Amino acid sequence: MTDDKDVLRDVWFGRIPTCFTLYQDEITEREAEPYYLLLPRISYLTLVTDKVKKHFQKVMRQEEVTEIWFEYEGTPLKWHYPIGLLFDLHASNTALPWSITVHFKNFPEKDLLHCHSKDVIEAHFMACIKEADALKHKSQVINEMQKKDHKQLWMGLQNDKFEQFWAINRKLMEYPPEDSGFRYIPFRIYQATTERPFIQKLFRPIAAGGQLHTLGDLLKDVCPSAITPEDGEKKTQVMIHGIEPMLETPIQWLSEHMSYPDNFLHISIIPRPTD
Amino acid sequence: VAGEEDFFLEEKRFKQDCEEFIKHSQQIGDGWEWRTSKDFADGYLSKTHFQITSRNVSPDLKEKNNDNIEQTLFMHVEESLDDSQVDGVCAAAEVIRYEYHVLYSSSYQVPVLYFRACFLDGRPLTLDEIWKSVHACYQARLLEGPWDTITQQEHPLLGQPFFVLHPCRTNEFMSSVLTSSRKENRRTNYITSWLSFVGPVVGLNLPLSYA
Repeated sequence: MTDDKDVLRDVWFGRIPTCFTLYQDEITEREAEPYYLLLPRISYLTLVTDKVKKHFQKVMRQEEVTEIWFEYEGTPLKWHYPIGLLFDLHASNTALPWSITVHFKNFPEKDLLHCHSKDVIEAHFMACIKEADALKHKSQVINEMQKKDHKQLWMGLQNDKFEQFWAINRKLMEYPPEDSGFRYIPFRIYQATTERPFIQKLFRPIAAGGQLHTLGDLLKDVCPSAITPEDGEKKTQVMIHGIEPMLETPIQWLSEHMSYPDNFLHISIIPRPTD
Repeated sequence: VAGEEDFFLEEKRFKQDCEEFIKHSQQIGDGWEWRTSKDFADGYLSKTHFQITSRNVSPDLKEKNNDNIEQTLFMHVEESLDDSQVDGVCAAAEVIRYEYHVLYSSSYQVPVLYFRACFLDGRPLTLDEIWKSVHACYQARLLEGPWDTITQQEHPLLGQPFFVLHPCRTNEFMSSVLTSSRKENRRTNYITSWLSFVGPVVGLNLPLSYA
């Protein structure tokens, strides 16, 4: 029987084979070869693509190189979303490798946040963790930690150190013995088709009578169109880390085992492939 | 802090206070309106205003924060007969469009101020440029205030980059305001109190009549 802890490792070490190609209109001194990389699902594009940037800068004139940004089939990719979420949301039912286009010009100011340094990624990551703990524990656990513990969470992510990360993160996954779970579940539900980037609401993992709420309960409450079949056929998939968890799964368990390192469950609602 | 209860703003009270706030804004023509997301599930306060920034434009022009700004600018231009003077005024004046949104954060149970600014040609201001336009005395307040500085974040309803002034300790400074008004049996509008504190820091002023 698979230990629950194995799920934590499977989530942490998930990878997406990706092919980076330079945008054809970028001015180069010689032809740019595509660059292949296994991207960690749990990390962020601008954190793991230094090699990609170096590779393409080699064939470009220095003055042409400004802030790098990425695009998939015309859609600018939000670096502040975890890579696994971006893939599930935009490309999960397409053939691998994931083909991403690299840009150095015409930064889309209306679509993307700037990312001038790793500090910006760290600040964003820590802000998410803090918000998650505000929901789970009224910020008590994160506020009780020392600055070095916060730093360890970031360093664990940045350096791909599972044990280092979880030595601290396990405290964020605990709850008082008299409770059966967190106060509220940190989650965001994404659909590529809406103007609204995501749905986020207050949702308790335990019902008034003590029963555990399930993933299905969550969806029924905040996004009923995702699971109500129109004309009898389920038109959408509910995806987390590239899989469709059973709707009967307790949301408390999902939060403890399938959250991203930022402590949020990032859930994609995507069209079911018709084949 | 002993004796002060932690006051968390419930979403219902947020909406009520926003409604009251808008009513007054309409009475005095202050330009605030209520907007809802396309699915109507969420709403927020919104205000747009234009500001002229320039060293060469006369001080009384700079103070105007309403729709009359364009009229006033053109009047000034028409009055001067010397062509070189006209060019001088036009070249020196830069009009910036500020947009402010007040959203409710259910995670922290506080309001959050989102804002962005751009020139009339659509070019957005950088954080540096916005910072420079904040009056010097408020720059000091911003540096020592109970907040995590201004950062760029995705607007949770529009999905576009905005700057956010998100004080992590809103409840601290709001608690004392609300506790004292409760003692005096005055009902405070949370939004008015909160916005009068955080607004000026980012160029947003509330006329005294809101109180």
